[in-house]
Amino acid sequence: MKIAVDIFYKLLEYLLVILMTAMVVMVFSNVVMRYFFNSGLMMSDELSRFCFVWVTFIGAVVTFRENAHLGIETLVQRFGRTGRLVCMAMTQLLVMFCAAIFFWGTWQQSDINASMRAPVSGLSMIWVYGIGYFTGGMIFIISALRLLNILLGRVTDAEIAAFANEYDDELIGERAQ
Amino acid sequence: DFSNRTIRLSNGIAADHPVADGVRAMTECLAEKSDGAMRINAFWSSALGDDLQATQALRSGIQEAVVASPSPLVGMVPSLGVFDLPFLFADEAEADAVVDGEFGDFINQELEQVGLINLAYWENGFRNVSSSQRPITRWEDFSGTRIRVMQNNIFLDTFQNLGANPTPMAFGEIFSALETGAIDAQENPFVTIDTSKFYEVQDYVSETRHAFTPFLVMFSKRIWDTYSEDEQQALRDCAVVGRDVQRRVIREASLRSKEEIEAAGVAVNEISPEEQQRMREKSQVIYDRHRDQIGPEVIDRVQAILAELRSD
Amino acid sequence: MTIVVFLASLLGAMAIGVPVAFALMFCGAMLMYYMGIFNAQIVAQNMISGADTFTLLAIPFFLLAGELMNAGGLSKRIIEFALSCVGHIRGGLGLVAIVAAIIMASLSGSAVADSAALAAILIPMMRQAGYDMPRAAGLMAAGGIIAPVIPPSIALIIFGVAANVSITQLFMGGIAPGLMMAVALAVTWMWLVRRTTVATLPRQPMKVRLRASARAAWALGMPVIVIGGIRFGVVTPTEAAVIAAVYALFVGMVVYRELSFADLYAVVVRAAKTTAVVMFLVAAALVSAWLITAANIPGELSGLIEPLIDRPQLLMLVIMVVVFVVGTALDLTPTILILTPVLMPIITMAGIDPVYFGVLFVMNTAISLITPPVGVVLNVVSGISRVPLGKMVWGVAPFLAAQVVVLLLLVAFPQLVLVPLAWLR
Ligand code: NA
Ligand code: NA
Repeated sequence: MKIAVDIFYKLLEYLLVILMTAMVVMVFSNVVMRYFFNSGLMMSDELSRFCFVWVTFIGAVVTFRENAHLGIETLVQRFGRTGRLVCMAMTQLLVMFCAAIFFWGTWQQSDINASMRAPVSGLSMIWVYGIGYFTGGMIFIISALRLLNILLGRVTDAEIAAFANEYDDELIGERAQ
Repeated sequence: DFSNRTIRLSNGIAADHPVADGVRAMTECLAEKSDGAMRINAFWSSALGDDLQATQALRSGIQEAVVASPSPLVGMVPSLGVFDLPFLFADEAEADAVVDGEFGDFINQELEQVGLINLAYWENGFRNVSSSQRPITRWEDFSGTRIRVMQNNIFLDTFQNLGANPTPMAFGEIFSALETGAIDAQENPFVTIDTSKFYEVQDYVSETRHAFTPFLVMFSKRIWDTYSEDEQQALRDCAVVGRDVQRRVIREASLRSKEEIEAAGVAVNEISPEEQQRMREKSQVIYDRHRDQIGPEVIDRVQAILAELRSD
Repeated sequence: MTIVVFLASLLGAMAIGVPVAFALMFCGAMLMYYMGIFNAQIVAQNMISGADTFTLLAIPFFLLAGELMNAGGLSKRIIEFALSCVGHIRGGLGLVAIVAAIIMASLSGSAVADSAALAAILIPMMRQAGYDMPRAAGLMAAGGIIAPVIPPSIALIIFGVAANVSITQLFMGGIAPGLMMAVALAVTWMWLVRRTTVATLPRQPMKVRLRASARAAWALGMPVIVIGGIRFGVVTPTEAAVIAAVYALFVGMVVYRELSFADLYAVVVRAAKTTAVVMFLVAAALVSAWLITAANIPGELSGLIEPLIDRPQLLMLVIMVVVFVVGTALDLTPTILILTPVLMPIITMAGIDPVYFGVLFVMNTAISLITPPVGVVLNVVSGISRVPLGKMVWGVAPFLAAQVVVLLLLVAFPQLVLVPLAWLR
């Protein structure tokens, strides 16, 4: 199971790299074509924007799993283990609530996005706006599993430290490089 | 019967545009008809999102009303692309007759099918080209001009077909892109060229009148359906009251803007009827290329109406 | 009352450790509930259409350029260059940090990345030389926050998109104020170290300096491309950003040869993740921004401020104080996105130059990154330098004061921004 999950996130990472590369290639080649050949790919602006949306919302899931979203841990760091666990549990509940709203809103808007096409590429906009299903759904699952672990007492000290943003020094140095 | 209603009406232009005069007239009219129960809360300069986002908000029932250009909305109502066709209308009278008549009703039905009630057609006006390179006197003058256009297939195609190098760009970037020379030209109605100060960084404005853009004054169908018949009728009537004021003001403003642009030392030129005709003929291929996308019956219908108008 | 709901839900969620982006979504939900218009579609639509903006594409490209520069050895060479130039002066390592901060600010758009890179390389050297650590760490933090003011700047891009102000103009407008921040830091630092006896590095012979300059020249070409390209109208900001990324890739792989294909993968992944963190925060902040606008709070506030409309300078001062106070508790991105719709109508009404306002606003929110209790840059530098947060706050205080003085000077003398801007226009 763990292997399957790891492979899944590895694939998401590959996807992020592909999308980033596509953005650079499309926008850069458009600049080159415009200045040297006086022409351009009409679709590149639109498609690179869509890649950008996907990077943002797929990346949001990957970074949520890694606790990499900016947070303010000043208060949490002052608490002992129990206090931190309580905060962690409440945080998961609140994040689940937000993720559920995002998912639900995407579902409610499905029709109006499915019935609209991108002006240049003609792509159905559900491909862009539907990303809310993925991001809302995945973040809900990740925090629900975290909450379950807390309730079952299976949460590790490393996870609590990650929540309080307390990494060991080595790691901080590495992140800064 | 009237309930207390606050209508959030958003749009993409600044509060000093003639649309504001229309909105004011509409607001006063509503207050009078509803005895103060219906109010409009207007949001300017895309404060609640751009035309497309706001229109989607209408369809979701999040927001009541929007004054939007049809161009960004062709992805949801392809027939709106008819207003992007180059050189469709010859003058304002023609445009008025078409949008206020049965063709306007036909488009309104299309809009209703995607959850939008169009209350009236207001006016953005004929679009003209400003440039730092040379005046446009015939279509060959477009050759190699880097011109900013809206992100819209028909506009892109129209200018490519004329030999220009069209570049889609956000509205907010146009001024400095013109100023620094990243682009040579842009196209907009006189009032926009004036109020956005584009003329300060351009040397020529050519009255190409290559497209006529109406404004759609739309209401959310989801919210509309919760309103009483009186309220609906008041909205329809007052949008028309607003329309008459807005059209009068923008046409005056357009003339004033033209004068101000000339007074600022910018060369303004008209296109001779012969050259206008040559541009029109050169652009006919756009009608064919986008016929299926817009809908053959839509193009046939508007052209039949125009032929009838012109034969009178 | 709306404001109370807003602050209580946002700060409350943040206090228990909810990431800022989710705290903003939660606060959006509470606002909708309070306003009686609870509708999940408002959240979904605003979040995604906020990211679906071509101009914002400059953000991933500049982030990628920054990552490529660190991995490709450009940042290292910039610091070596600064070392060879000013390392021998009393308090020289501090000056090195400031010079490097200016150059790196003109390469990268993010304060966190800059202060992290500065601190990671210079703090160990300063510790060895015997500098007062909290002061040194404070300087790294204060130097890093020049990044959002000098172009390229993610904060200026976000403001430009939110306020519909030209990013090109904002970029040009940020140059002079950013340099002033650096001068203020240098003056403060020199005054603080006037009596220290910390060892200086040996003065480098001209040959060494020239070699270091030559090695750094490729890195220094980057601001020329970005600022020159935009200034002379060759490119738009988004295009400049993608060119910067390709240029950094070229220098790192072909010129310096420090970047392998294997590194490249990791670099792109990091840039993608940072993009996601920044943009998800932008998306979440836009929900609250939409609700605040829809609730007509900007309209109510502008009524409150009406009496000051005729006195633009006093108005600017009041606004800057408000932004500073908000900035103690809120991060740069949400501060910009939430306050812009509130402030812009007032700025327009008062006839204040939007570019001038944007630069000061962004400078103010950049300063907020080093004000307690919530200051991301303070946290990052504290982590890298192992100076506890409490001491960091004290260490950064004189530099914070210096930058506030610069901000106040710019309020008092708008010409300091507008004259260089007119010259650069
Ligand atoms: Na910068
Ligand atoms: Na702060």
